[in-house]
Amino acid sequence: MRRQEAAVDKENFGMGIVTVLWEKWVEFRRDFYKITVAAMISPLMYLIIFGMGIQTTSHGEPYLHFLVPGVVAMATMHGSFSAIVQNMSTQRLYEKALDQVMVSPTPLWQFIMGQIIGGSLRGLYAGAIILLLTAPIRTDLVFNGLSVFIMFLNGMVFSTIALVLSFMAKSYADPPKFTSYIITPMSFLCNTFFSTEQMPSGFRQAVSILPLSQSCAMIRSIANGEPAGIFGFIVLAAYLAVFGTIAVVFIYKKKNL
Amino acid sequence: MGIVGCSNQKVAAAVFVCTEMIEIKGLVKKFGDFTAVDGLDLRIETGEFFGLLGPNGAGKTTTISMMSTVLLPTSGEILIDGQKLDRKASSQKRKLSVITQEYSMRQDMTIDEVMEYQGRLYYMPLKEIRKKSEELLEFAGLSEFRKRTVRHLSGGMKRKVMICRSLLIDPEILLLDEPTAGMDALSRRQMWNLLRQLNEKKMTIVLTTHYIEEAQALCDRVALINRGKLQKLDTPDALIEDLGAFAVDLTSEEGLVSRYFHDRDEAIKYLSEAGPSASFRATTLEDVFVECAGRKLQ
Repeated sequence: MRRQEAAVDKENFGMGIVTVLWEKWVEFRRDFYKITVAAMISPLMYLIIFGMGIQTTSHGEPYLHFLVPGVVAMATMHGSFSAIVQNMSTQRLYEKALDQVMVSPTPLWQFIMGQIIGGSLRGLYAGAIILLLTAPIRTDLVFNGLSVFIMFLNGMVFSTIALVLSFMAKSYADPPKFTSYIITPMSFLCNTFFSTEQMPSGFRQAVSILPLSQSCAMIRSIANGEPAGIFGFIVLAAYLAVFGTIAVVFIYKKKNL
Repeated sequence: MGIVGCSNQKVAAAVFVCTEMIEIKGLVKKFGDFTAVDGLDLRIETGEFFGLLGPNGAGKTTTISMMSTVLLPTSGEILIDGQKLDRKASSQKRKLSVITQEYSMRQDMTIDEVMEYQGRLYYMPLKEIRKKSEELLEFAGLSEFRKRTVRHLSGGMKRKVMICRSLLIDPEILLLDEPTAGMDALSRRQMWNLLRQLNEKKMTIVLTTHYIEEAQALCDRVALINRGKLQKLDTPDALIEDLGAFAVDLTSEEGLVSRYFHDRDEAIKYLSEAGPSASFRATTLEDVFVECAGRKLQ
């Protein structure tokens, strides 16, 4: 029987991921304007206030040059996290729509994978909007394929974290708390608006190891024509592996999902 | 597998080929200190219409949730076609479809999208999803609402969408948790007819319901559970016969009290002695249920 299951799963390999991506596409198509406006507002405010309103310099360069890569990484994080945490918590706690998936033969790891990729694509979309909005400003910053890959990886990490948190949520009030306690502090502290180098020792190391700090650093390095380095990829991959494993364990083993 | 445990109605049709589609062994589910299901053992045959009855909080929905893997048991196991059911068991899950008590659907999807999502989750080809959806929605009278989001449907329509969704995949086992809750009398009768038709096609149906007459009308066998434990298990007729097929109701200071008799003459004799406030009637499954649960149910 297990062999038969394996054969069926092999025949339909990846179809579960495609199904979740289709679901995400349906959602995106329906809420296109809401998603787009929500992705634009906060980052645009930061760019206008800190980058254009408060005219200053950083490391001898206009502050906007420092700010844009950080805001792009932050938008990616916000886009991915919010695409999953609210949606999945609602599906699990309020709509009970997750039951439809749990009882279906779609392998649950594919469901997790689809959510992570789908969330990451939403983050990528949010980051791309910021890149488009800042394109007319002459900054000489470089954004290439590797930048896009880092944005995607960053989105995957935060989608995975969102997934784990949404499996832990006990009520509808929890997702906004997760955003307040985790995402908002990271938005401001993790190398987005100012360099972590200026932080006190101990705190600096703790903040530097957070995924957004690494994504900001890598995207900023590429933007300034410098190599991204390998350390950031290792950190992001480690977060992805740890939270991905927790998400898979939760969905297969959590007794009261 | 022998025919022991098969319902009388099914024996003739089954001709000694009854097989256990679902086997529940020592099922226990605890939520903290509270034991919702307490060592439940059941065998449900292929093509059987099986009812799970019990008062509120008896453990019916918890049992169905474990049968659909939404909840995992604290101990014990569920076998489908002899194979253990868990969240990895794709081939067992492929046979199952569930209609839950709540409207477990994406509220922001249209009916068409709900159907397509279900079909995709079961690896159905798109052409087949569309063809079968059209047939089912037409049958349920939902065709003109197919572009409407679930959020904007009435309760009865949502229930119908859930039925269409569960039938889209041609399940071998249909788990129904209070499927007619909130339905008007006409819709409920239509639902009964549909379930009978499906059962005639050898679909195994497990039903939980508060409507005792529903279980009596539809089920080959019923299990009465209370506080997570199996109290009685038999055909509705056998359960009624066991209690006594004839009932005399007496209105006393304590309220309505019923006495049950196996012998009609004995019941009539008791009735004549009891006075004008007494009345005679046939015992129903609800009587069995009330006696078993120890309290009146809706």
